Amino acid sequence: MKEHYRKLFLEMAIIVIAAVTIGVLWNFRLLCDAATGKLSDTKQQPVISATDGKSMTPAPLVLVRELFEKKEALFVDARESSVYSDGHIKGAISIPLGEFETRLKDLRAKTTLDSPLVLYCSGYGCHDSKSLGEKLMADGYRTILIYEGGYPEWKDAGLPVEGAKP
Amino acid sequence: MKPKTRQYILAALRIGLGSVFLYAGVLKISDPTAFAGSVAAYKILPYFMNYLVASTIPWVEAICGLLLIIGYRVKATSGIVAAMNMLFIVLLASTIIRGLDIDCGCFRQGGDKTSAWTAILRDILFLSVALTLFSARGERRFSTR
Repeated sequence: MKEHYRKLFLEMAIIVIAAVTIGVLWNFRLLCDAATGKLSDTKQQPVISATDGKSMTPAPLVLVRELFEKKEALFVDARESSVYSDGHIKGAISIPLGEFETRLKDLRAKTTLDSPLVLYCSGYGCHDSKSLGEKLMADGYRTILIYEGGYPEWKDAGLPVEGAKP
Repeated sequence: MKPKTRQYILAALRIGLGSVFLYAGVLKISDPTAFAGSVAAYKILPYFMNYLVASTIPWVEAICGLLLIIGYRVKATSGIVAAMNMLFIVLLASTIIRGLDIDCGCFRQGGDKTSAWTAILRDILFLSVALTLFSARGERRFSTR
């Protein structure tokens, strides 16, 4: 019986180790970028180039803040207009998901398809920024970062906001 | 229950559970970065670990799913699937306790939000199927071993 369980455990370990190895090899580049901080290091700009029009990149606060301070990206608020009016990241433009078609012209006027865009909404549970990112990618925008902490994290960090009631 | 009927039911459960895991794994393999975002939303792991988990867990899911479908090393595979489901249930429960309103990230990333309660109930179902397969003895139908 003991031998049986030893063998079973060994089989489980082999399956898991094999799967993990394949996963690591398959995503080797992504993991290297994440490990070396390239995904969060704007000095080397790999996040900007890594998006490559194929996928959107989740961006942590530290990166988003640096892009904001260096004015290297345009911030896009994907929340409803009324929520935007109650407070948003300073300088962000409003493109609520439901008004995508009408607001796209404004965005086109301010940007090129290569302009880095940081999309955000109401934090980790909110998917509007990702959905908006998919639409923008379909429209040809190539450099899309999803700031998943969103407005709540930004505000909590004491970073510049506009329109917020005291 | 007749032994034959029992074997057919077990085969159906095995292939059903395998298909779910293969599907869940392949969806996430196709977009590891988005899945890393879902993992990050649980706010448990440090930055790099989110990517490591997002790069590997979908492969464990997909390979276990495939092995269950073809019926190879079913006991070991269903054991892994049961362990993973237990882990998922604990993680989902932690989001409820911590008041995190996030998508479970179980299948397609960035789609409609699945609440933690729904995901927990679903995982309990998968867990019970996995444990049934894990504890089943005797000959198997439509299985390589």
